[in-house]
Amino acid sequence: MKRLSLTLALLIVTCLMLAPAAAQDTTTVRYWHTMSDPETAKLDEQIAAFEAAHPDIDIEATRYAYNDFKEALLTAIAGGEPPDVARLDIVWVPEFAELGVLAAMDETLPNFNELAEGLFPGPLQTNYWAGRYWGLPLNTNTQVLLYNQAQFEEAGLEVPATVQDFVSAACALTEGDQQYGYALGGTYFWAPAPLFYAQGGQITDPEVTTAEGYLNSEASVQAFQTLVDLYGEDCVSPNLLGGGIGTAEGHATGLYSMIVDGPWMVDIYKNDFPDFEVSFAPIPAGPEGTTSSVVGGENVVLFADSPNQEAALEWINYLLSEDYQLAMSEVGVIPTLSRLVGNEALPEYFGVFMDQLQTAQARTPTPHWSEIDNIINNAFQFMLRGEKTVEEALNDAVTEVDTLLAE
Amino acid sequence: MATPNVHQGEAPRSLPRPQAKQKDAGLSLLFQRLIPYAFLLPGLLLFGVFVVLPMLYSFRISLYDWDILRPERSEYVGLGHYLDILNNGVFQRAALNTLLYAVVTVPAQMGLGLGIAILLNQRLPGQAFFRTLYYLPVITSWVIVSLLFEYLFNGQAGLVNYLLQQARLVDQPVRWLADETLAMIPIHLLGIWKGVGWTAIVMLAGLQAIPEALYEAAAVDGANAWRRFRFFTLPLLRPTLVFLLVVLTIGALNVYISGLLMTDGGNPLDRTHFVLTLMYEETFDNFEFGRGAAISYLLTAVVFVISLVQIRVLQRDIEY
Repeated sequence: MKRLSLTLALLIVTCLMLAPAAAQDTTTVRYWHTMSDPETAKLDEQIAAFEAAHPDIDIEATRYAYNDFKEALLTAIAGGEPPDVARLDIVWVPEFAELGVLAAMDETLPNFNELAEGLFPGPLQTNYWAGRYWGLPLNTNTQVLLYNQAQFEEAGLEVPATVQDFVSAACALTEGDQQYGYALGGTYFWAPAPLFYAQGGQITDPEVTTAEGYLNSEASVQAFQTLVDLYGEDCVSPNLLGGGIGTAEGHATGLYSMIVDGPWMVDIYKNDFPDFEVSFAPIPAGPEGTTSSVVGGENVVLFADSPNQEAALEWINYLLSEDYQLAMSEVGVIPTLSRLVGNEALPEYFGVFMDQLQTAQARTPTPHWSEIDNIINNAFQFMLRGEKTVEEALNDAVTEVDTLLAE
Repeated sequence: MATPNVHQGEAPRSLPRPQAKQKDAGLSLLFQRLIPYAFLLPGLLLFGVFVVLPMLYSFRISLYDWDILRPERSEYVGLGHYLDILNNGVFQRAALNTLLYAVVTVPAQMGLGLGIAILLNQRLPGQAFFRTLYYLPVITSWVIVSLLFEYLFNGQAGLVNYLLQQARLVDQPVRWLADETLAMIPIHLLGIWKGVGWTAIVMLAGLQAIPEALYEAAAVDGANAWRRFRFFTLPLLRPTLVFLLVVLTIGALNVYISGLLMTDGGNPLDRTHFVLTLMYEETFDNFEFGRGAAISYLLTAVVFVISLVQIRVLQRDIEY
């Protein structure tokens, strides 16, 4: 008995001596993101797989609500405790790069060029600001047309291939306030962006120096005019001005025949409206005969002050591996690796989104994007409320945007 | 630490040397004066570190084009942000919205609160039940009830529109949140509904502190219910009413969560902003820390002045 307790005591002492040594050998990489429930579950599996392959690295993932994320990051940055790696909305990358908190990925990551070659160029470009790449595209998405097949069949209509057909279909499918042909989620730029770009609309010149001649160009004015006219004819649900029925609920319950949205809708409908069968089509083509849409998604960035850069880069490399990207595709996340196009493991409905990504455009890369977004949002509101003509609203918006860009 | 000092100071008192005694008595008095401060110290330290220092620091931020990462690189702009903000149309609108919110919700909460408090002060069956019922909105989360009110006032399928249409008061559903004026109605109603329970409970405490004997004497003298209320209840409730007025006004000027959630912070057209939702947008959406801090300071100044005036004008000692 005495010997047993002695052995036990020795064992405990040995463990205690070994424990700190073991702890010192693992590096903890703090990873912040804003993933959904199913995505987070997948991420946990992937972290386990990564840690099994890298016993010396411990990934500490923290999830934030999208709307609180900027605030949380800023607080952490101001307090000198930012994470090592984070997954940022693509439109935030220039803002954080401008703050000077991000490490330039093309300088820090030894295999940057090799990785970059294997990625879709559009999403990769969203990391480019002031001559450097500040991150890598982790996942991408775009919006396409989501329509209610049954309602189209009932009305004897074809799915619109051009904006002209789209306009007539939207009005043909409208029945008072019982059914609207088309609905937008709001007036923030993301909502009208696909139809805006498809009709040749632009916000600024490619170098992002001015909006003059772009946001108020003939094509941009016409693009907004199309939507304003549709709204004037009551063929668009009034929810876009605020305080109405959301696009997902309205679309799934037959109130809205067409909406424009992203690949995550598949999972939302599967969970919330299992009986609803959604159909996808490319965004209708504008007068030039070309389709387009808007690029969304998230980029992975490395914080400049990270003391665990080596381990953090291992993790970033893993996030851009085929294993990780294919696993995430199971929950509706579109990969950024171009070699995965046509991969059989990808869900079938990705096809239309991956095709649309070929022509989709990134929103203006500038640290002032949040403000520009608000300016365009307000311009759209002015037009819809009839307080300004489309031309007036866009001319005023150009003045405001150019003031920001001149700073 | 303070206790041994007391003993050191007191113990020599028994000694017969008068000189020493006098000196020690002085020391003892000094310690006695210091002891309360020793007890205050921890609280003051916390207050200083977590309230006063950040306040001073944010005042400094408000004078700069603040660089969050390298504060030393911040550009000094003096009162530039303050002048800029005061001349900004969006801020002026936000300030008006905030004042209107206070002017509407504070009297409404106090009026309704007083009525409810008087009812709850009667000896009625189910008194405890009603007290709990009126207090429930107070303890529910602002976020949840804001979303709830957003649903109730939905422009296409809200319960409020349904009832209005059933009652034939409106033909078309009212688009509450799409209109800058109408959007204030659900926000004001929410503020009143959520605050009235707390107001009533505080008033109830004030009512119960009024001696019953006064009412009995008044009744004997033939004062009717209105006169008893007008000449006893109201004057004796005055300290409670002043306290509530000040606290509710401060609370109303700080309206934030309901505005942020129900109008997405300022929709439509930045016309439904409150001072704090605008502060949030400038700071965390636009990274304009200096402007955000300046907005906070403007609000603080207004709250300070209004509270001071209210207390000075209304606070009076009452004797009975």
